[in-house]
Amino acid sequence: MHRSFYSLKLLTFGAVSCLAMACLSSKVIAEQNRPAPQEAESESAKDKVFNAQEFMLDNGMQVVVIPNHRAPVVTHMVWYKTGAAMEPAGKSGIAHYLEHLMFKGSDVIGAEALAPGEFSKTIRRLGGNDNAFTSQDYTAYFQSVPVSALEQVMRMEAGRMRGMNPPLEDVKSELSVIFEERRMRTDNDPQARFYEQLRAHSYINHPYGTPIIGWMHEVAGLSWEDAKSYYQKWYAPNNAILVVSGDVSPAEVLSKAIDIYGKIPAQDLDERQYLTSPPAESQARLIMKDKAVRESALYIMFRVPSAHQDKHKALALDVFRELMAGGPSAQLYRSIVSDQKLASSAGLSYDSTSWSDADITIYATPLPGVEIEVLEKALLDELRAVVEDGVEADDVENAITRLQEQAIYARDSLSGPAMIIGRALASGMSLNDVEYWPHDIQNVTATGIQNVVKEYLDPDTPHEQPPVTGILMPADKE
Amino acid sequence: MRVISTFFLILLCAFSFQAHAQDDGSILDIQSLTSESGIEIWLVEDHSVPVIALRAGFKNSGTAYDPQDKQGLARLASNTMDEGAAHLSAQNFQKELRDNSISLFFNADRDSFGASLKTLSKNKERAFELLELALSKPRFEAEAVERMRNANQSRIRNSLTDPSWMAARLMNDIAFEDHPYAMNSGGTLSGLDNINSDDLKAFHSAHIGKNNLEIAIAGDITAEEAIEIVDETFGGLPDVELKTLEDLNIQNTGHAYLYERDIPQSVIRITFQGIKKDAPDYFAAQVMNFILGSSGFGSRLTEEIREKRGLTYGIYSSLYNLEHVSALIISTSTANENVAEMIELINKELSKIAEKPVSEKELKDAQSYLLGSLPLELTSTDKIADLLLALKLDNLPLNYLDQRAQAIEAMNVEAVQASAKKLLADGGMNIVIVGQPGALNLDINEIDSLPNVE
Repeated sequence: MHRSFYSLKLLTFGAVSCLAMACLSSKVIAEQNRPAPQEAESESAKDKVFNAQEFMLDNGMQVVVIPNHRAPVVTHMVWYKTGAAMEPAGKSGIAHYLEHLMFKGSDVIGAEALAPGEFSKTIRRLGGNDNAFTSQDYTAYFQSVPVSALEQVMRMEAGRMRGMNPPLEDVKSELSVIFEERRMRTDNDPQARFYEQLRAHSYINHPYGTPIIGWMHEVAGLSWEDAKSYYQKWYAPNNAILVVSGDVSPAEVLSKAIDIYGKIPAQDLDERQYLTSPPAESQARLIMKDKAVRESALYIMFRVPSAHQDKHKALALDVFRELMAGGPSAQLYRSIVSDQKLASSAGLSYDSTSWSDADITIYATPLPGVEIEVLEKALLDELRAVVEDGVEADDVENAITRLQEQAIYARDSLSGPAMIIGRALASGMSLNDVEYWPHDIQNVTATGIQNVVKEYLDPDTPHEQPPVTGILMPADKE
Repeated sequence: MRVISTFFLILLCAFSFQAHAQDDGSILDIQSLTSESGIEIWLVEDHSVPVIALRAGFKNSGTAYDPQDKQGLARLASNTMDEGAAHLSAQNFQKELRDNSISLFFNADRDSFGASLKTLSKNKERAFELLELALSKPRFEAEAVERMRNANQSRIRNSLTDPSWMAARLMNDIAFEDHPYAMNSGGTLSGLDNINSDDLKAFHSAHIGKNNLEIAIAGDITAEEAIEIVDETFGGLPDVELKTLEDLNIQNTGHAYLYERDIPQSVIRITFQGIKKDAPDYFAAQVMNFILGSSGFGSRLTEEIREKRGLTYGIYSSLYNLEHVSALIISTSTANENVAEMIELINKELSKIAEKPVSEKELKDAQSYLLGSLPLELTSTDKIADLLLALKLDNLPLNYLDQRAQAIEAMNVEAVQASAKKLLADGGMNIVIVGQPGALNLDINEIDSLPNVE
């Protein structure tokens, strides 16, 4: 009962919403709505992960709805396709500072403006939680509330898209909050400080080399004018994505979105263009000694493509990551920690969701008495083995199955699906890239993995962006 | 457009009603079941996603029961119980979990030892078999014990670069002095060295029992299936003899402690005596704590210290309950030069909330949030299972969520003030600072080295 009704709704929208987004106005979508025959539904919905529906408002704002009727609650997110990477030179941290200021007083569509701090307090009164985050590629604002509060939340969020106006004393005190945030996250923590250095050396001349929170000396000089000009330049409906997940129907959300967000005029936008790195002429090796550090750690950071840059290579790298680091029975842990006993931990990180380049970092903590160079060679030998001998087809198949099953777990959440879809769309991927990810990843082969590892991760024939090696170690005893 | 959306709205309403109204009007439809072998299970059935989550808790088996010279025993047991069982080596056991997309792990908090299982419903037979093997025939092989010892020692050394961790460590030692809760729940470097396979086997036979077991399940499983699978998995466990701990009040109140570190920002933790969860005025304390500092934005501490003055990125108060001690903890951080001002401002807010009733608006806002936000805690199989087990381990009744709602709804400002007066008495706290604060108007005890680390 539940399920058939659910997919009936989806299919009627599925038939029309799909991906001619740029040309379909919301009115066209509505007229084409018609119940579809029931048999067809389960077929076409079969492989999708979330069964989300997407629309485009007349002003260019993208809308995605993910129905989830488990509890009478909803997660509402607005993603701006701008982040730290779009900051003017010398103004690092302005995207994040602006994100803080967005809570310091703003208009509400159809109601009185909110005083500083009232945005979050109103959400609490509604029985909800709210927050925001800034990345290199996007800035997102989200609220999880009882479903009855959705419209009010939309009016508030739409109001601050163009109507943020904090009093100057709040602008000033919030900059101190950012100093404290930077001290807490980075300056108080040698690992965070070192990671900041690693990225700066890996991403030469590329915005991703600058920390999102900003360099302290630049943050100290940020002003209201800096925040305002960034805000006016990038915060617009045609640069934003609305994602709503929860106990709602796509039609209901669309209708509200047209009424509330649809009235905000589009504006001219600059093209999203990042500086890129030149081929590197040298291979960096960073060493940081710190007296708070009690044991060494090794990081090797490689530049690799993101899903937005090269979908097929990114899928191959997703499977490669699972083979190398998907839990304690995966290759790196098994070989380096369990068999060779060189390290207490070892892993490999890869996040394919970014607009520009992505990176793979291999890391390990040596056991006491193990020379860092020995550990480094063992880690690189794992890559050499893949370059020379490839990976087993059976292992690839198993890894793909596991990744596909992870997609089922991803549905077991209210805000998780909104987060996954919002990130992907804001990073240049399409909704279909997300929905059909389990299907697309099926096409990854052992040869495909070997080729991409050869191209980007071969320690002996480095890519034109060679890896940066970092060693964090205890300062010598006095 | 309108016509179409109204059409869908009607369908939606019909559907929502079915999905959310519990027959008896309760917040969460928890089934209390008893298996054939006498094990009590709390179950929330939900077939919307093909996922099942189980939580098992073994009471009186947490890290507070570690021997003083083997701190880390319960933690190490939790790390090694999924490292091979019966005929399966550590590698093969982990491979079975991985190949079947099963998440199985153990954990040890201060009071209890726990198992967490999450599986796709299609793999549930294998998932519960593996859990049964891990519980009944763990191998505790020397290789796995050594590997996990190394990982834990590495984690401890690593934590020594984290000022918040150091402040928490120090707080535990000071506030719970001379009680097993003062031990390091993650183990000490030397304590971990003292533990071998035999210790872990002894831990296993002393604690993994049927008479100290609590079970919570959520997700895609029926009551009949749950009963059957619980009997198969846990029915063969023996009864164990239980030790217990003394109750404790927060120690060293009226004192302040500094662990000096060369960092730009100081971390501050302030600990008061708290209140037991089954006390009649617990909910008044919850509302008071919300208004004082647990709500983040909108709380008095955040408003005064972050929003008005920009002195911190975060300041929170929280109620902290272990089985034998209750605390109210305020935690924050600020640039070294602001510590004195920060402590003065916190003290001012503490006096204020004890001396003058909160406003009706503050009370109403707190009620709206505490009542309205509960459904947000019920949005995934994991969250529901966690909530159920927490209620069970705290010996709270099946209708606790409804009792809580009634009590919060009936709250008044007098009860909130009475709670503040009782909990936030002048000088009734200890203060821990990690960092390099300037001159303070406090009688400071300097700490040379962190206790229960080496």
